[in-house]
Amino acid sequence: MVKETYLHDKHVKLGAKMVDFAGWHMPVQYTSIIDEHKTVRETVGLFDVSHMGEVFISGKDATKFLNKIVPQDIAKLDYEKAVYCQLPNLNGGLIDDLIIYKLGIEYYLVICNASRIDEDLNWIVRNKRGLDVKIDNQSHNYSLLAVQGPKAIDLVKKMGYDIEGQKSFTIKPAVIEGIKLLASRTGYTGEDGFELLVENEYSEFLWDKILEKGQEYGIKPIGLGARDTLRLEAALHLYGNDLDENTTPIEAGLSWSVPKDKKVDYNGKNVILQQALNGVEKKLVGLVMLDKNIARHGYDIYFKGEKVGIVTSGCVSPSTGKNIALAYVKNNKEICIGATVQVMIREKLHDAQIVKRPFVEKRNHV
Amino acid sequence: MSFTDEILCTKSHEYITKQGANSGEYAIGLTDYAIDQLGDIVFLELPEIGDKFEKGSAFANIESVKAASEIYMPISGEITEVNTALVDAPESLNEDCWGNGWLVKIRPTADEKTETSELLTYTDYKEELE
Repeated sequence: MVKETYLHDKHVKLGAKMVDFAGWHMPVQYTSIIDEHKTVRETVGLFDVSHMGEVFISGKDATKFLNKIVPQDIAKLDYEKAVYCQLPNLNGGLIDDLIIYKLGIEYYLVICNASRIDEDLNWIVRNKRGLDVKIDNQSHNYSLLAVQGPKAIDLVKKMGYDIEGQKSFTIKPAVIEGIKLLASRTGYTGEDGFELLVENEYSEFLWDKILEKGQEYGIKPIGLGARDTLRLEAALHLYGNDLDENTTPIEAGLSWSVPKDKKVDYNGKNVILQQALNGVEKKLVGLVMLDKNIARHGYDIYFKGEKVGIVTSGCVSPSTGKNIALAYVKNNKEICIGATVQVMIREKLHDAQIVKRPFVEKRNHV
Repeated sequence: MSFTDEILCTKSHEYITKQGANSGEYAIGLTDYAIDQLGDIVFLELPEIGDKFEKGSAFANIESVKAASEIYMPISGEITEVNTALVDAPESLNEDCWGNGWLVKIRPTADEKTETSELLTYTDYKEELE
């Protein structure tokens, strides 16, 4: 049974093309992916990402518990702060990637991928043995609306939220248009903006208000198609494409997010720290195609005639007009930034250059 | 008569249209439904003049922002002309998939009558979609 968000009828009325995504009937585009993408880069866009999972973790041992299941040091997380985390298995491979928010003393919110919520819950429940912790999956009770783009902050302010002092990667209780919600200054586009966690019953009202108040900025609703091209330009990983149970955070280029000095044990720690110290066999790189061809998920990569890797995400970058991709390649000194590799596209090799990630400048560091 | 009165369509969303009564050639394109489903077209790869393809075989590749697809021959034929302007500006297919949106022109290489009889009029094609 395909699930619908509380905003499903809004999307249909707006003329969205609907697709099944991770068990949800979701809008992939309203008008055009390129147009929606540019709207978010140039002004502001509104996303329904209510399919994402929300799990509240509380209890005396909540911090201890989270510290056991993620490589990040949750004991160091301040009140109202958010941290990008991974959920490794015992081999360091990733069951999911998450954002963890500290809402209070021994009280956390975990936001996870819609496609992984069952696996995540199975895994974390298995890890709670002997600990005083409550795992409360509230995904069915909350809607998540993302307001993203250079005008997102102006818009949220206009809607009555004084964001004074709220920095990137923080969450605060807020009142917007009279609705109590949690406002998180995060996103998945490389732009500044907010993700608004609201009880389902207020989501339609909030959706309409955001579109109404955003009119002066030229706001548009944005589908999952543009969400994908936006995140790929920002070189943000997509679980299932760029991350999976056979890929560690170090291989995925997420070393920056993994503390090397975390004292307590966590799942996969041996493998992850060993890789952080001694290096990895495969590594994530960014590619730009040197001709008009587009590298897609699953295409093979060659270097000097040898197969050395695979593309995990690829598209036309609407902001740059270039054909960009994320790929895993053999960790070999010669296969480095500036090097030319070949992508096998329809049985022919096409040159691509390894470039720095992200593909566009991120504007969400505040 | 409008453009779509004179086309025949495949269930895989290609169309053919005869190029004048005596030329013996057909233009091949993609239907408006196909273009709408693909969304923003960003890449097109067409065959060379002189290439020959059987009915139902893939002769071209098209990509939208989201996905890559193959385009299949509605009838067997030899490529006589290629719309190179479209290769340079594939996004124009989103504006017009009919008149200027033809991909290739072909000369039939098999029994034209039998092969075209298996195709759908635009009206029937639209009905099939529902």
